[in-house]
Amino acid sequence: MATPVNIQNPSKTWELSLYELHRSPQEAIIDSTEIAVSPRSLHSELMCPICLDMLKNTMTTKECLHRFCSDCIVTALRSGNKECPTCRKKLVSRRSLRRDSNFDALISKIYPSRDEYEAHQDRVLERLSQLHNKQALSSSIEEGLRMQALHRAQRVRKPAQESDNTTFSGGEENGDARSHLSHDSAPSHTPLPPSHTPSEAGPSRNLKRPRVSDESGPEADRGSPTPPLRRHKEGPGSEIELVFRPHPLLVNTQDYSQTRYVKTTANATVDHLSKYLALRIALEERQRDGQPDAANDKEGGEAGPKGVEMTPGEGPSLKNVSEKQYTIYITTSGGQFSTLNGSLTLELVNEKYWKVRKPLELYYAPTKDQQPQPPQPPQQKSPQPKDG
Amino acid sequence: MASQNMDPEAASSTAALKGNETGGSAAKGSVTKRLQQELMTLMMSGDKGISAFPESDSLFKWIGTIDGAQGTVYEGLRYKLSLEFPSGYPYKAPRVKFITPCFHPNVDDQGFICLDILKDKWSALYDVRSILLSIQSLLGEPNNESPLNTTAAELWSNQEAFKAHLNTTYRE
Repeated sequence: MATPVNIQNPSKTWELSLYELHRSPQEAIIDSTEIAVSPRSLHSELMCPICLDMLKNTMTTKECLHRFCSDCIVTALRSGNKECPTCRKKLVSRRSLRRDSNFDALISKIYPSRDEYEAHQDRVLERLSQLHNKQALSSSIEEGLRMQALHRAQRVRKPAQESDNTTFSGGEENGDARSHLSHDSAPSHTPLPPSHTPSEAGPSRNLKRPRVSDESGPEADRGSPTPPLRRHKEGPGSEIELVFRPHPLLVNTQDYSQTRYVKTTANATVDHLSKYLALRIALEERQRDGQPDAANDKEGGEAGPKGVEMTPGEGPSLKNVSEKQYTIYITTSGGQFSTLNGSLTLELVNEKYWKVRKPLELYYAPTKDQQPQPPQPPQQKSPQPKDG
Repeated sequence: MASQNMDPEAASSTAALKGNETGGSAAKGSVTKRLQQELMTLMMSGDKGISAFPESDSLFKWIGTIDGAQGTVYEGLRYKLSLEFPSGYPYKAPRVKFITPCFHPNVDDQGFICLDILKDKWSALYDVRSILLSIQSLLGEPNNESPLNTTAAELWSNQEAFKAHLNTTYRE
């Protein structure tokens, strides 16, 4: 080994860090394996650190390889020190930057309907500056979050048609600091609120794809940290992730073979989950039949999953969705499937049956002696009792 | 995306506007946007010992609080600060000063703070969170070379006396 070339200028050293010395390349993926990338982990990559928005006309510094929006970095260089805002490396002029059109292409592939989204954001901002008070601020932030959730559904649907490489799926094992159960920030959703399902129903058209996990949307979209403000109103709680599969023995896999990834609050019960599932399946059925809305006369009972109650001549009615339709199972150590009591919270299930540090895996099947039931008033209550 | 096909000249002229202190509504919009993002990040992050929120109607003036870090003479004391954002933010640093009187080598009796990142070492990457965290650590690690408050700088070497003085003079 020769002496380091840059011995006189230690800041310019090319020596490898320990990590770089010891890392081994990832195996190339040549089969159809899909890798789940958490939208949150993508977010930091796609965000301009100056405007905190998604990168636009990406410029990369030639030496230190930090990325900014063209507008942002040019303005920063003009109005401040001639150095990289991220690492303070000297940047003489715009010539120290280069356009990164590949990165722009990557972003537009992942977020094809970005313009639409931005137009919405502008409208929200417009209204905000008109009203100009704190209440307007918080309500518009909340509205922004709702719209983001809506847009997410649309956006995710598009790449599904164009390319499979850019879809996200819900398994968030990689690098998502918040996905672990110990985090004490309060849950962002009441588990599986029915109001969310219409917007989430989008991705389910393509039934083979793993779906976007329910909670990660708003932040993902924009590459922007968008905490639902509700977090602060609700009491502390933790989140729980679970992988949800059809019962391998009891379910004919053709019926609904997809694996579902769900993240919800740990104090949701098995009944909540079951009811959510019933609602999802009912919605998916309806969508598969090409009936996005209530009226559904053509398809009778045959298309529906066994457990979903049908009124003759109608599609699965969402009003009849009940936690009794599906039974939730978990595998115990002996490989046996055991039924979970509906009143157990997921947290308890996790502690009692699962114990390992990976997402909870549950199985579902239509309840065997499911009788058609009269329409029930919604019983599901938000499991967050605290407010304020 | 239409924006990608934008004339580079046009792009740079809007950029110029962004950084302009007296920029028009477009500039103001982008500043508002960024401040909103920061507010949300801040509320999400749940950092211990710092917080900030817009003071009233305007997003351009915030009130922040800093709790003295554990193990420093400031432990147990809470300080309020005001942050005012120029329309050239984040290319220009916000004006930050203590509202709660702060006895510290680098803080004067008006509450002004001598901190390089708020002056010539400002970078557009700093945000409210990093500013508050920097000031929090400045409390425990003053720069006694260039004091604004010489009494505090001289007293610093005697931590017990410093703390005693701090506690008798501290008021919310």
